[in-house]
Amino acid sequence: MTAVVAPYWEFAKKAFAREATYRFEVFTNVGSLILRVYLLRCLWTALYAQNAAPMNLPLHAMITYATVALLMSLVLEIDGTRLIQEKLREGTIATDLMKPISLPLYFFSDGAGRTLLYAVLVIPTLLCALLLVHIDVPPPATLGTFALSFLVAYCVNFVLNFCMNAIAFWTLETFALQLIVRWVSDLLSGQIVPLTLFPGLAGRLLFALPFAAIYSTPLLIYVGIIHPSGWRNALIVQCLWLAAFGLAAFGIWRAAARRIVIQGG
Amino acid sequence: MLAAYAQYWRINVLTLLEYRANFIMWFAFTIVYHAVALGALYVTMRQFPSMNGWTFREMFFLYALWMTGHELHNTFFFQVVSVPDFVREGRFDRFLVRPLDALFQVLIVPQQLIPDGLVLALATLGVALAVAGLHVTALLLLVLALVVCGGALIDLGISLTIATLSFWFVRVDTLRWAVMSLEQDFTRYPISIYARGVRLVLAFVLPFAFMNYFPATFLLAKQETGLGLNPAVGLLTPAIGVAWAGVAYAFWQVGLRRYQGTGS
Repeated sequence: MTAVVAPYWEFAKKAFAREATYRFEVFTNVGSLILRVYLLRCLWTALYAQNAAPMNLPLHAMITYATVALLMSLVLEIDGTRLIQEKLREGTIATDLMKPISLPLYFFSDGAGRTLLYAVLVIPTLLCALLLVHIDVPPPATLGTFALSFLVAYCVNFVLNFCMNAIAFWTLETFALQLIVRWVSDLLSGQIVPLTLFPGLAGRLLFALPFAAIYSTPLLIYVGIIHPSGWRNALIVQCLWLAAFGLAAFGIWRAAARRIVIQGG
Repeated sequence: MLAAYAQYWRINVLTLLEYRANFIMWFAFTIVYHAVALGALYVTMRQFPSMNGWTFREMFFLYALWMTGHELHNTFFFQVVSVPDFVREGRFDRFLVRPLDALFQVLIVPQQLIPDGLVLALATLGVALAVAGLHVTALLLLVLALVVCGGALIDLGISLTIATLSFWFVRVDTLRWAVMSLEQDFTRYPISIYARGVRLVLAFVLPFAFMNYFPATFLLAKQETGLGLNPAVGLLTPAIGVAWAGVAYAFWQVGLRRYQGTGS
């Protein structure tokens, strides 16, 4: 068992070290988040001061929601599978396919290593954020369920990115497409505005889309809009999406590896 | 110089025609980017109809005004943002040995660009005018044109200042990024929602508020509650744009002389 896992553990460690050398980018990331935390405080404070608050979401819960969403984005915006594209463009994927490792697992461990660095960054960011805003801390059971849900969300996000990047096997350049999906999913996943604020049919529809499994579910568990009685169902739905996209990723990978064309040069 | 400039646009369009699919994807992204920003604003303001006295319709206009000035800047002055990269990679030196103004040469480094963003911005501004219920007159259009040009010049002044700083400090990315974030995120809302210090910065230090907030306050006949100024200050945008761009250009000239001095 250890012999199987060991190489991937090493890949993750390498990715962590590699990423840590780009200290400047890391610093910018944290700084950008602090500015956005300040912005969200101003924004929601002004909105709540002059309008009736939604029933289940008082100001402190909204600020908590938005801040935790930003902290989650620090981890979720890392696209570990972007590597597929680089390897395709440079042609190194051909030799990688010959190595006695599972490439999807390699991408996952590489991505996880990079993510781990940013996960560490959550701590200083959180401390700075706490100077600007107050964040509600839910009881341990809720926090635990949130963590579990976040973990599933991370995996859903990973397979979604994996599918997107694997499209490059066919089209070779997908960066714009990926950015489009990223922006749309930021809105539809509840990262910018809680899905509970969307009106009527659109709101109900969004809960039925896979994007909700990435930000909305963990966040709504955190702020208590999903009650403990609903936790089980929420997690099951998330896992179903994970399974669906996992299968899709598997299928795409099988088909892609077979029809690989390396760009010349 | 004119011939060189015409040639530059010709190359831009030709490269673009070579990569049509790519262009369509990027244009789609530009649309999605702004649609998401406005969509999020719409959803939020359905629940919370007033932001310090501003409605969604007025905020839409606020956004469109910034977007148009910014896109005008991007269409004609975008390469200024690349100066720090040129300097760092040593690609800047060749501009100094050619018999044309260095800044002009920077502006005409070919890129895959046609004014699609600007066209989109103008369309958005048109919709925003209707949504905000402004009565369109020739005078209004003239004021809008001046405000948009002024806004683009404010943008240019700030990006040129940052670019010039790269003659002294090789790494200006942090500054560039902080200013960009201040511009893109903080111009979406009326400045009265921020702390006083931030309002002062947005009004007088990095005058992004003159790109959209002050002119919009005036055109929509609203009270200026951020700094308690007379809304007519919104008409100063073109003057502030010219002043900023002028000072930035002078600073650029000083920087150039300094840059030549080191011989690096």
